[in-house]
Amino acid sequence: MIGRAVEPIIELEDVSRIYDLGKVQVPALVDVNMHVAKGEFMAIIGPSGSGKSTMMNILGCLDRPTSGRYVLDGQPVADLDDDGLAFVRSRSIGFVFQSYNLLPRTSALENVAAPLMYQGVPRRERLMRAQAALERLGLGDRLSHVPSELSGGQQQRVGIARALVTEPALILADEPTGNLDSHSGAEVLSIFKDLHSLGRTIVLITHDIEVATAADRGVHIRDGQLQEAVLG
Amino acid sequence: MSLGDLLHLALGRLGTGKLRTALTALGVIIGVASVVALVSVAQGATKGISDRLQSLGTNLVTVNPGFTRGGGATRGSFGSATTLTIDDASAISGLAGVQYVAPELTTNKLVIAGTLNETARIVGTSPAYLSVFAYDMWTGSFINQASLDHNMRVAVIGATTADNLSLTDTSIGSTIYIAGLPFELVGILQSKGGTGTADDQVIVPLTTARELFVGTSSVSAIGLSATSEDQITTVSGEITALLEQRHGIASGASDDFSIVTQAQLLGTVSSVSDVLTFLLAGIASISLLVGGIGIMNIMLVSVRERTREIGIRKAIGARGRDILSQFLVEALALSLAGGVIGIGIGVLASFAIGVYAGWGFVFSPITVVVALGFSLIVGIVFGVWPASQAARLDPVVALRYE
Repeated sequence: MIGRAVEPIIELEDVSRIYDLGKVQVPALVDVNMHVAKGEFMAIIGPSGSGKSTMMNILGCLDRPTSGRYVLDGQPVADLDDDGLAFVRSRSIGFVFQSYNLLPRTSALENVAAPLMYQGVPRRERLMRAQAALERLGLGDRLSHVPSELSGGQQQRVGIARALVTEPALILADEPTGNLDSHSGAEVLSIFKDLHSLGRTIVLITHDIEVATAADRGVHIRDGQLQEAVLG
Repeated sequence: MSLGDLLHLALGRLGTGKLRTALTALGVIIGVASVVALVSVAQGATKGISDRLQSLGTNLVTVNPGFTRGGGATRGSFGSATTLTIDDASAISGLAGVQYVAPELTTNKLVIAGTLNETARIVGTSPAYLSVFAYDMWTGSFINQASLDHNMRVAVIGATTADNLSLTDTSIGSTIYIAGLPFELVGILQSKGGTGTADDQVIVPLTTARELFVGTSSVSAIGLSATSEDQITTVSGEITALLEQRHGIASGASDDFSIVTQAQLLGTVSSVSDVLTFLLAGIASISLLVGGIGIMNIMLVSVRERTREIGIRKAIGARGRDILSQFLVEALALSLAGGVIGIGIGVLASFAIGVYAGWGFVFSPITVVVALGFSLIVGIVFGVWPASQAARLDPVVALRYE
C-alpha cells in the first residue's frame, strides 16, 4: 500500500484494467493500489507502454476499471454509467493535456468558460469566472485570441486556466510539458508548484524523471504495476 | 446547457465554415423553394381557370347537344351534333327559375377590318347573351331585338379581336367583313381578362348567322342563367325533363343533350388542381429529400472531423446528450436557414411566374408553414443519426484521434 493518507482524494484498491481484444486479453493495469491525499502533488512516472495512459484514463474517469475499487473525493466511481462519469469529470476533475486540447477556432475566454457551460452556469457568470482564471495565469490580454494565435506556453496556460475554473478536487496533468520548450516547460511546472502551495491536489503523469521532481512524491509505473519512486 | 448556449455554438460553428454552410443549405434551399414555387404555380393556374369560370357568372347553365354516357364525357358534342333547336331554347325560357336564355350558333369565319384580318369564332346569338355570360360593353351597344328580328348585319366584337384588328371606340359604325360579307360594327365588349378565348369572338344576331353562315335550325349550345345560384339544380332537372319530353326520350334512356353547370366545372377544376398540386409538391419533395441527405452527409463528415473536439468536450464534462443536442441544433439551424431562404426564393419565383403567366400572385401561408415544417423535419431526421454517432463516441478514443 502506497501513501496511506488521512483525508484521501484518490483511493485505488486492487484496480485492474484488461483490454479485451477478442483473441487476446491485454492487462494494462494489474491490481493497482494507490492513495493520494488532499493537497498532495504526486507524479506518476513511466515510459510509454507502461500503462501510464490507462492510469490517466482511469484516474480521469474517462474509462472504468475492469475490476477493483476507485473512490474519488469520497465517491465510488468505478461502476458509474457514462452520464455519471461525465458528471464526475465536470465537477471533480480538471485536465491538463500534453497537446493542450483546446477547442479550435474558439477564443481563450470561451475555451476556459466551456467546462462551466456543462455545469449549467449562466453565460455571464461563466465568462466572468473564465476571465478571472485567465488573468490569474497572466493571460488577461489574450482573452479573445484563438489557440492558433497563441504560443505553446500560452496555450498550455489557457489549458491550466480551463482546468482550474471549476475549482476541481483533482488536477490531472498528462505530460503537460511534453510539447513545450524548456523555458515554457519550466514556467508551466512552476505554475503547478504554485497551485500546490495554494493547497491544490495535483497528479502529474510523465515519462521524464526531471519533470517529476516538481512533485513532492512519485511512483513508477511499469508493466501495469506501481512502485514507490525516489525523487531528486 | 441552455437553448441559448446551443444556438450560440451552432451559429458560431456555421459561421466559421461559410462556404460549406452555404453549399449544404443549398440543397434544402432548392427543395423548399421548388415546393413553394410549384405549389403556388398549381394554385395560381387553378385560380386563373376558376376566375375565368366565375367571370362567366356562377348562375350559368349550358345545354350542349350530343349524347352522354353515364354522366361522363360528351360524345360528338361541340358543333357537330344537331339535336338542339331554337324552339328548345324558347321552351326553356318559359321555365320557372330561368332568367335569361341565349341560344348560340357557332362557326369560324375570316374577319377583315381595313387591311387586317383574322379567323375568328363567330357566335350567332340573342341579346340575352350579354347577361347570361356576364359581359359588359366597353363601347357602343350590344345586338338588340330589332337586329335579331330583321336579320340585320351588325356585329359586336370581343376585346382581343378588337386589338387584333386595330378596332377602337372610333371604329364604331365602320364596316367589317365576315366571310366577305359587310357588317356594321356596333359595339366592343369589355375584356374579361385572364386566360382563354372569352375575349376573342365576333357576335352577330342568331338569325343573321343562320341565314348567312350555317343555314340550319339547330343551335350549337344554349346558354342560360338561373335566377339564383341555389336554383341551378332545380333548373337543370326541369330542363332535362322538358327536353326529354320534347325529344321523345324515355326517362332513364340516353339523352341527346347534356347539361353543364358552373358548379360542376368548378368542381372538376378543383379536383384536377388538387391532383396537380399533390403531384408537383411530390416531385419537389424529392429535391427536399436530397437536400436532407446532403445535410446528413456533411454532418457525418463533420462528426468525423471534430472527433477530437467531441473528446475534449466530453473530458471537460459534456454528457452524451449535450453532444447530441449540439449537433442536432447545428443540423436544425442549417435546415431552418435553408428553409427560410428557400421560402423567400420560392415566393419570388412564384410571383414572377404568376405575373408572367397572367394569373397574378397567389400567396399561400399554409404552403410556407408546411415547407418550413418539412425543413425542420428534414433537419431532425437527417441530423439525429450523425448527432447520435457523435454522442456515442468513447472519450478515450476521441481524445487520441488525430
